[in-house]
Amino acid sequence: MKRKKIIRYILVSLFVIVAAAALYIYKEYNRRHKDTASLKPDYSTEAASFIKEFENNEKAANKKFLDKVIRVEGVVKEVVKDEKGFYTLALGDTASMSSVRCNIDSMHTKEAVAVMKGNKVAIKGICSGFNADELLGSDVILVRSVLDQKK
Amino acid sequence: MKNLVGLTLLIFLTSAGYGQKFFTKNGKINFDATSSSSPERIEGVNRSATCVMDAKSGAIQFAVLMKGFEFERALMEEHFNENYVESNKYPKSEFKGKVKDADEIDLSKDGTYKVKVKGDITIHGETKEVETEGKLVVQNGKINADAEFSVKLSDFKISIPGLVADKVSKTAKIAVSCSLEPLKNQ
Repeated sequence: MKRKKIIRYILVSLFVIVAAAALYIYKEYNRRHKDTASLKPDYSTEAASFIKEFENNEKAANKKFLDKVIRVEGVVKEVVKDEKGFYTLALGDTASMSSVRCNIDSMHTKEAVAVMKGNKVAIKGICSGFNADELLGSDVILVRSVLDQKK
Repeated sequence: MKNLVGLTLLIFLTSAGYGQKFFTKNGKINFDATSSSSPERIEGVNRSATCVMDAKSGAIQFAVLMKGFEFERALMEEHFNENYVESNKYPKSEFKGKVKDADEIDLSKDGTYKVKVKGDITIHGETKEVETEGKLVVQNGKINADAEFSVKLSDFKISIPGLVADKVSKTAKIAVSCSLEPLKNQ
């Protein structure tokens, strides 16, 4: 009788463990990206100084900013809408070729539609790095970006 | 500083005497490693590839940040960056090549041109030569450039862990699509 109880106990706990593992794997497998709008920025900066930090020391800036949530303030110098309706907003000084290019999250396209060239905006996005180019100007790229309304 | 002056001069000198350049900073690159036995699409897209093309010489270049590839599933994107392309170590991928027989095409005229592109592609720190067919569509002074080709992941020392080896294709399909505009202030 006692042995039966032990076996049952083991079986039940085994089942619970397997079920928990399966649930975890299922959830992890289906995990979506968090909405950037709900994330707190790791760093808040301004477009020109953000670019400068990468220009001065790309390695150090990569270490500091890559994969982090960055809030960037700046003047919109270019609004790009591609054929699928995705928006990219470039922030920075119009006199310079370099900019902070923010790929707007498709869930937040609505907010980007109203943005015009010359507007001062704040954008939150995930930093994916620095694309240095002598001819075209060097850009810091933010992905999954959203407009941050809070001033 | 001296370097910068030299570089600027070099760019100036090399661009003088060459043809009109076209560029984009919003090039799209699609990465698809879905294998026939995958339960779902293993696909990422990057919308911020840069591309410059010289209309006369046919020289063409792409650069893309690996961390800029967006996958629908967060886990897939993490695996792509951490385990496969190691984007912390190799943040950028590049292609440097040439449109073959570019001098036979007049890109100032509207039309659709089938072209062959050959050059070196660098992914994960490894460089390989690739050749592919592409299409250039000229309309109103802009050029739409499209190409599709496959790369063998093992050529770039990208290894797929045994556990998912049958889910991830050994060759990745790469589709490039750019809308190029004339570059001013050359």
